[in-house]
Amino acid sequence: MISQWVIAAALVLVGVYLLKARRSPNQQAIRRLFIVVALLGGFIAVLFPEYTNALAGFLGIGRGADLLLYSFVVFALFYAVYQYRRQLWQEKITTDLARSLTLTQAALEDFAAQHTDKKN
Amino acid sequence: MASHRGDEGGWLCQNNYVMSPTASAKDTRERGAWVVVPLFNEAEVITEVIRGLCQDFVHVICVDDGSVDNSVELAQAAGARVLRHPINLGQGAALQTGFDYVASKPDATHVITFDADGQHRVVDAREMLELARRKRLSIIFGSRFLDKRTKPGLKKRIVLKVAVLMTRAITGLRLTDAHNGLRVLSMEALGHIRLEQNGMSHASEIVHQLAKAKLSWREYPVEVLYTEYSKRKGQSLLNSVNILIDLLVR
Repeated sequence: MISQWVIAAALVLVGVYLLKARRSPNQQAIRRLFIVVALLGGFIAVLFPEYTNALAGFLGIGRGADLLLYSFVVFALFYAVYQYRRQLWQEKITTDLARSLTLTQAALEDFAAQHTDKKN
Repeated sequence: MASHRGDEGGWLCQNNYVMSPTASAKDTRERGAWVVVPLFNEAEVITEVIRGLCQDFVHVICVDDGSVDNSVELAQAAGARVLRHPINLGQGAALQTGFDYVASKPDATHVITFDADGQHRVVDAREMLELARRKRLSIIFGSRFLDKRTKPGLKKRIVLKVAVLMTRAITGLRLTDAHNGLRVLSMEALGHIRLEQNGMSHASEIVHQLAKAKLSWREYPVEVLYTEYSKRKGQSLLNSVNILIDLLVR
């Protein structure tokens, strides 16, 4: 069945994104395209339910409702992975910020200590 | 105030056991190696750990990772130079902050990482440093599995073995003890380390980055003291799953 290949490939892509995604303009573009496609697909599915059925039949899924469910699962998974990666990036930024604060404070204290020594 | 302001502009350990007011001139303690101790809520034991270190080392740096007990005050009173993270980030992050600080010190020759919970022995740190200098090695890893002194329980042994096998699989370095907090690193080795794992996965990450740098390394047999206190803080087997995922997803 075509559907099995399509869904399996989509899941693999989500996995690759989990492991390999880097922050870049291309990544952002892909993500936004994804959302636009999902929106358009949603509109079409609502306005012309028979298309969903036809596509589902072509892919070998049977019912349009099942096709929607499967795509929903893939999109949801992608979104979860994307949020997870985003959180990692966010943590890194927070760490860098906190570290530079710590080191700046330490450097100031060292400087003050040195300065006091010289005066004594 | 127990910290003494030193001539290099750093805080120098002042230890009541060692330093009388006139003793500073013939202070024979180690000056080139800086000890980095990540600190998070260890008020019960930190005083003793820092005092022990200060007997042998001039530069003892505690990186406080947002402790909510009075660890900071105790560490300072015991003679450590304490750097403070404004928020809790994790032990790996604390180590990296300590590394950055030491890297800014021109007189530093080595960094020693040392756990705050009292499981390491200062004498091991000193011997490892001496070995690094004598043989001109970049990295000395402490290992509790090179001899029979350390007696971890069965569960701990399994946890650590899993960690060792995982570290071998990922890094290719054949270590016997992947998660020992006692290490001696030359400044050259330090230049190859950039810890991004804030949590406990940094131990494998250090090995990983050092393996890539292809520097000379050796393991040194150390004894790990399993007190009731340190046993309470041990890691679980499931946490090795976390470490694996952390290292794969970056």
